[in-house]
Amino acid sequence: MIRYVLKRLLYAIPGVLGIILITFILSRVLPGDPAVMIAGEQAPPDVIENIRISMGLKDPLYLQFFHYIRQLGSGNLGTAWHTGHLVAQDFATRFPATLELTLVSMFIAVCFAIPVGVISATRKNSAVDHVSRVLSLLGAAIPIFWLGLVLIYIFYAKLGWSPAPMGRIGQDINPPTHLTGLYILDSLLTGDMVALKESISHIILPAICLSTGTIAIVARMVRSSMLEVIGLDYVRTARAKGLPERIVIYKHALVNALIPTLTILGLQFGYLIGGAVITETIFSWPGVGSYITESILATDYAPIQGFTLVSAILYMLINLSVDLIYGLIDPRIRYE
Amino acid sequence: MKKTKWLAVVLASVMLLTAAGCGTNANQAVNAGAAAGKEIVLAYSDGGQTMDPAEANDLTSDTLVLAAYDQLITYGVKKANGADIANTEELKPMLAKEWKVSDDQKTYTFTLQDNAKFQSGNPVNAQAVVWSLDHVKNSKSGSFLYGMAEIESCTAKDDKTVEIKLSQPNHLFLQIIAMYTFSIIDPAVVKDKGADYLKNNEAGSGPYKVEKWDPATEAVFTANPNYWQGAAKISKVTMKFIKEASNRVTLLDKGDADMAIEIPAQNVADLKKNANLTVRSDASNRILYLAFNTKVKPFDNPKVRQAISYAIPYDKLVHDVMYDQAKQMKSAVASNTPGFTDAGFVYKYDLDKAKQLLKEAGYENGFSFDFTLGSGFQDWQDDAVLIQAELAKIGVKMNIQNMARAQFLEAQKTHNLTAYISKWTSFVNDPGYHLGFLLYGKGTSNYGNYQNAQVDKLWEQANVEPDQAKRNELYKQAQQIITTDAPWVYLYEYNRVVGMNKNLKGYVFYPDEIIRFYSLSK
Repeated sequence: MIRYVLKRLLYAIPGVLGIILITFILSRVLPGDPAVMIAGEQAPPDVIENIRISMGLKDPLYLQFFHYIRQLGSGNLGTAWHTGHLVAQDFATRFPATLELTLVSMFIAVCFAIPVGVISATRKNSAVDHVSRVLSLLGAAIPIFWLGLVLIYIFYAKLGWSPAPMGRIGQDINPPTHLTGLYILDSLLTGDMVALKESISHIILPAICLSTGTIAIVARMVRSSMLEVIGLDYVRTARAKGLPERIVIYKHALVNALIPTLTILGLQFGYLIGGAVITETIFSWPGVGSYITESILATDYAPIQGFTLVSAILYMLINLSVDLIYGLIDPRIRYE
Repeated sequence: MKKTKWLAVVLASVMLLTAAGCGTNANQAVNAGAAAGKEIVLAYSDGGQTMDPAEANDLTSDTLVLAAYDQLITYGVKKANGADIANTEELKPMLAKEWKVSDDQKTYTFTLQDNAKFQSGNPVNAQAVVWSLDHVKNSKSGSFLYGMAEIESCTAKDDKTVEIKLSQPNHLFLQIIAMYTFSIIDPAVVKDKGADYLKNNEAGSGPYKVEKWDPATEAVFTANPNYWQGAAKISKVTMKFIKEASNRVTLLDKGDADMAIEIPAQNVADLKKNANLTVRSDASNRILYLAFNTKVKPFDNPKVRQAISYAIPYDKLVHDVMYDQAKQMKSAVASNTPGFTDAGFVYKYDLDKAKQLLKEAGYENGFSFDFTLGSGFQDWQDDAVLIQAELAKIGVKMNIQNMARAQFLEAQKTHNLTAYISKWTSFVNDPGYHLGFLLYGKGTSNYGNYQNAQVDKLWEQANVEPDQAKRNELYKQAQQIITTDAPWVYLYEYNRVVGMNKNLKGYVFYPDEIIRFYSLSK
């Protein structure tokens, strides 16, 4: 098993290097000049030229790449000019926000999608199945920005149940003492009930908004793999030996149907961590998604490159973990 | 067995973490209630990029700078239609209590206030002024303004006297020195904390201290209790950064924000119905124009450019696209700028006249051209589509090519675009500054390559004319020639829309669109 993990990690290295090279070249080849953005629209050409020289943008591309690799080698992702901070520092403050939002939305998705998937499989073509099919279709089809705005309109503007969509915690409330950066976890660990209530009430709407797409995909996935499994011999055997239906479905069938679902969840997780841009923007959620959009608009190379690198590595680790979890769920899967 | 082991590990780590967190609960004492004093929440769009006065060039960064720093001199305020607006023609003392100009108009001597202190407690002295001007000179973003001010040297004559020498007389000098870029910085703080300190921290003498600035969420200011002009009336200002415009509107409407900026024009009518709100919509200096490359056929012919000026549905643009939160533009210079004239503006929506001009120019059967549309502004897109439809009626085919904002700014600088829409706000509210960038032959932002020897001569003459009335006369002549020549189709001047709670007082509109917190009260 350890050998397998090491082998996988080793194989990932060329992939990561390729990503570094491609991002580097793409961000420089595409039009858009950071010097123009730094100097502002009204700056004359000589001022812009000086900025280009001082930022090393006039060096040949291979030299710039060499500098970048050397800098990466020393563990430095560079400085984001549009925030004035080190990229690593910006990630450290932004990333926990995205992670927390992703985790909560995945939690909501799993809690909702698995039972719905199971029920629509066991009661195929019933009313429940049809309703869940239509809802899944809607979940996959509704644009997130629209759903986000509608949720805000109903639950904040009209009903007043939800706090103002202004980030992770309310006005005049201190964030919980920093342990992990995940507000809900930190509030629990420090026993900070004020912050706990605030963080939960702030995360609910964006998490629901973000979870709809995942719910739709996962529910359909669970349904189809359940349908496949339910017809198999061992399920019939379980029923024949007189096990209650609940046990047959949840203990015997569902566990075996989970493997493809897990793959989807892993992919979705990686995708959400890097791609919650719209939800983050609408709810003013201070995560990496909105940070990276700002960086792209500002043609700020360092954070774009840093983010691509970090998310590539994350994606790889998530996929590896998913593969390892297969082994836990299905003892037939062995890693050599 | 295996399970119990895991459980033990998890429990142990939870206990460890809980122990670590014990006694550090961030909300035990603090969240009992809001602190005493008056507080306001402002909804802004962008989080800003720097707090360094010499590097700031976006609205939020500029706002942070003006809250934390003072300048040598500042703009006056006048009443117009019952509302307070800045009077950029009147320059008032700030850190400099008075100043003298030599007879040759090349030496300015500033005397500093006796009681002005930085937030650090250090006095504001002549050395600090010299250091701050030097900082602008060596900056990336602000250095061009230093060049434009034509400062030759800046020396401390004594502790409270600064002498600034110019390389030649420059009527823009005082206007430029009043900008946020030329904020006076406490050099002792910078020497102590290092050069990068100014990016994320302030070292000024201004009315507010920056408690927190996180571009992702908010900036929090508290009033400087020892401010040399007296402490600000609002004790705490929180700027919330909210990208989504409709959310800014909702927050304001619900009363969760006391003020919101960058309100979409289509929401103004609805907000005005809310009795708790005041909506200020002031004519700004932000102009929007369609520029032609006057070096490219057929736009090298003034008749063609004039013809297009006659094919623009001016009323539709202002009314349907901008919901009347804009005003028709009638000169290359904004109507708020001293020396503005609409002389020569004869254009109105008249397709027959447009066709006739095209015929005179030899394009009776029309032509087609490429038009570049920069992204980021919904109204530009709407304008382009409306104009495209009108031009089709006179046989002119306009091919709209979309481009992302960053790419657009770069493409513009190549001077090769055939036609495009662009906006502009002059930092210095003066036709000399404005035309010098945009329509003077050698202007650095003259991306349409407009060349007119007469205009250039008038501009150069005005530049060295010390008398303002005579200067404006020259600028007026230049404007008339430009309007007749039509290198641009004039579209509109934006209104600056700011929504605020009824009980928030003291808002002053400045042509640079930056809100100064010090005048606000509740």
